[in-house]
Amino acid sequence: MGSVHSIKLAGKPSVQSRERTPLRQVSSKLAAGLALSAFATFDSALAMVAPDGRILMTNPAFDQLFGDISAEDLPTQLQIESWQQAESAERIVPFPNGRSFKIKIMALPEGYFVCAGDITDQLAQAARDARLVRTDRLTELGNQRLLRERLQDLLESSPAVRNDCALLTVDLDRFKAVNDALGRNIGDALLCLVSKRIRSAVSGVDVVTRLYGDQFGIIQIGRPQPEAATILAKRLGDLLSRPYMLEGQLIDVTARVGIAPLAQAATDVDQVMKNADLALNRARQDQSKDYCVFESGMDETVKARRALETDLRRALALREFSLVYQPQFDLLTRRVTGFEALLRWNSPTRGMVSPLDFIPLAEETGIINPIGEWVLRTACRDAANWPADITVAVNISAVQFAHRTLATTVLSALSDIDLDPRRLELEITESVMLDARGTALGVLQRLRSTGVRVSLDDFGTGYSSLGYLRSFPFDKIKIDQSFVRGTLEDPGNRAIVRAIASLGQNLGMATVAEGVETAEHMERVAADGCTHVQGYLISRPIPPEQVAGFLAGNGAQKAACRDDPFLVA
Amino acid sequence: MPARPYRCVYWSRQRIDGTPEQVATEIESILTAARRNNAQLGITGALAVGRGIFAQLLEGPRQAVETAFENIQRDERHGDVQVLAFGPAEQRAFPGWPMAYVEPSQIGSQPAASTSTAAVGSTHLEARRLLDIIDSLAVEPQPRRD
Ligand SMILES: Cc1cc2nc3c(=O)[nH]c(=O)nc-3n(C[C@H](O)[C@H](O)[C@H](O)COP(=O)(O)O)c2cc1C
Repeated sequence: MGSVHSIKLAGKPSVQSRERTPLRQVSSKLAAGLALSAFATFDSALAMVAPDGRILMTNPAFDQLFGDISAEDLPTQLQIESWQQAESAERIVPFPNGRSFKIKIMALPEGYFVCAGDITDQLAQAARDARLVRTDRLTELGNQRLLRERLQDLLESSPAVRNDCALLTVDLDRFKAVNDALGRNIGDALLCLVSKRIRSAVSGVDVVTRLYGDQFGIIQIGRPQPEAATILAKRLGDLLSRPYMLEGQLIDVTARVGIAPLAQAATDVDQVMKNADLALNRARQDQSKDYCVFESGMDETVKARRALETDLRRALALREFSLVYQPQFDLLTRRVTGFEALLRWNSPTRGMVSPLDFIPLAEETGIINPIGEWVLRTACRDAANWPADITVAVNISAVQFAHRTLATTVLSALSDIDLDPRRLELEITESVMLDARGTALGVLQRLRSTGVRVSLDDFGTGYSSLGYLRSFPFDKIKIDQSFVRGTLEDPGNRAIVRAIASLGQNLGMATVAEGVETAEHMERVAADGCTHVQGYLISRPIPPEQVAGFLAGNGAQKAACRDDPFLVA
Repeated sequence: MPARPYRCVYWSRQRIDGTPEQVATEIESILTAARRNNAQLGITGALAVGRGIFAQLLEGPRQAVETAFENIQRDERHGDVQVLAFGPAEQRAFPGWPMAYVEPSQIGSQPAASTSTAAVGSTHLEARRLLDIIDSLAVEPQPRRD
């Protein structure tokens, strides 16, 4: 660093001057002259300022920059007073005329040396660059970086500010399908329209960004939470799900919204974003609502589900599943005609897990496919040991029908085990018939043509469309237990049982009343026209090794068996 | 003559709260905005209102119809928008009408206190059709929101 003294003597040259040019040999008059002309010709704006702030001397560059500001105003605008303590300093000073200057100031023994530059354009460029890296090019909304930075700021602000903020994440069901079917250009144009609709629904202070693909992130600011975010989410769900018209195409998508209020214990950006995602996931699962607010339990729920999924994946290999069989009783012949195979999971860590708790997860994750195949093969193998007129019924989930190989799986199980197809009965629910493309129907027809029987399970609980009964020649209709058990109290239930029974009779389908627990139940459903019953009255589900004994004894007698906590049928 | 006009027909549920006068004022303001904007876009058409339902026909160059439709979609004064037809048409059904108002006098509920000069009679074929849409919808239950 050159000392103040050397500057005073020689102007610009500093440290190295001592070694290179022996300046001291130059007369002080010459040095002063040199310094002065350097000062005058230097292309930065320079000025000498008196200790009291008066401007003593300026160079032409300085005059050019500040010429239109009066000599009295200038020191104030330069804000010289405010930094008189400093030895030297550098500041960016905005001027009333809208321009910004970078001002360097150095204290001299008496007064100051000021160097100024107009950096307005530089600042504007920097601001443009900063905006650009925080902008999503396609939609001109903000991008993920902007969202994260703004979230960070808000999380660090006072609780009053933070509590009035929420992060909303939005995505579109079926967007990928639109992109695939209509092409990327239309997909992109759709995202632009979606952006504009979002913008039209939020307030000016809110931050709207596209995170990636069809996922958007919005920070709502300065509104009571979670009420305001809920209102916005409903509005977005409505607005974004309205039809779009693009390039002559009419496009329908559905928007879902996850809400994470910032007030929650979540402390960092990642946590808030994760919370919003969890809520969004929940909104996707719950078909009845298009938005969901994050709750602290959700994280736990997700973890618990994941743990269950892990155990479920292992259960098959670890042979933790078993089948039990519940007899079906023919009311006319007074004989047991078959058994329904029911799945049991005995987990070493969880104990007996109810099918109600793991089947939905197995369906969602697709684990139902290998499990279903195991059930099918095991049931066929067990049935092969039974008398030739006894059938076995196996439940097949709608998810399994989505798998192309279902028919092959069934047929190969039958032929491997050499079981007469007529002894296998597939129980399906109405949800299987809901599949629009009719693949399930094709699979059922193919299987039925080989002799396999098909029954419609849980009839009366779902859509119960008579159309399904017409679209496929079911062998049996199983009447849901809620109607059977309810027959005592509710005459309406009894009417339903009767109606289904007579429907079955007319269509040539057997009707099985499920959940028959007392002699009275059985009497009634018999009187109502049902052909078969299933339930505790006949027997609880029994393990395979007891089937032979059960059949040998009186069929209608209750079988002695271990307690089964999960009576399904 | 440019390419064939595009036509879009939709219906929606009115979501204007307030007294019948306030509703009428809103409808009047919709028509005013529609006539102003549509003339610039080269769009013509008709709007029928009744029994809490809007039925609208928009026609013009495809892009203009799309722009207008998108603009109308964002309006909070209606919802449950169902598009009934969208595609090229032989010719305009309402040439010269930036947005005709179809008198709902035939369909029970009173017209918006419209002094509007641009009301078409229900003898107009497409106007009749819009009224029919309202007629048949008004007896149906509220649609499910998917
Ligand atoms: C049922 C209905 C039909 C409408 N039809 C039109 C229309 O044909 N043209 C139009 O510009 N605006 C129409 N609007 C109004 C627009 O939604 C929007 O309010 C208006 O275009 C805003 O115009 P401005 O920005 O010029 O005020 C309609 C609104 C509703 C609820």
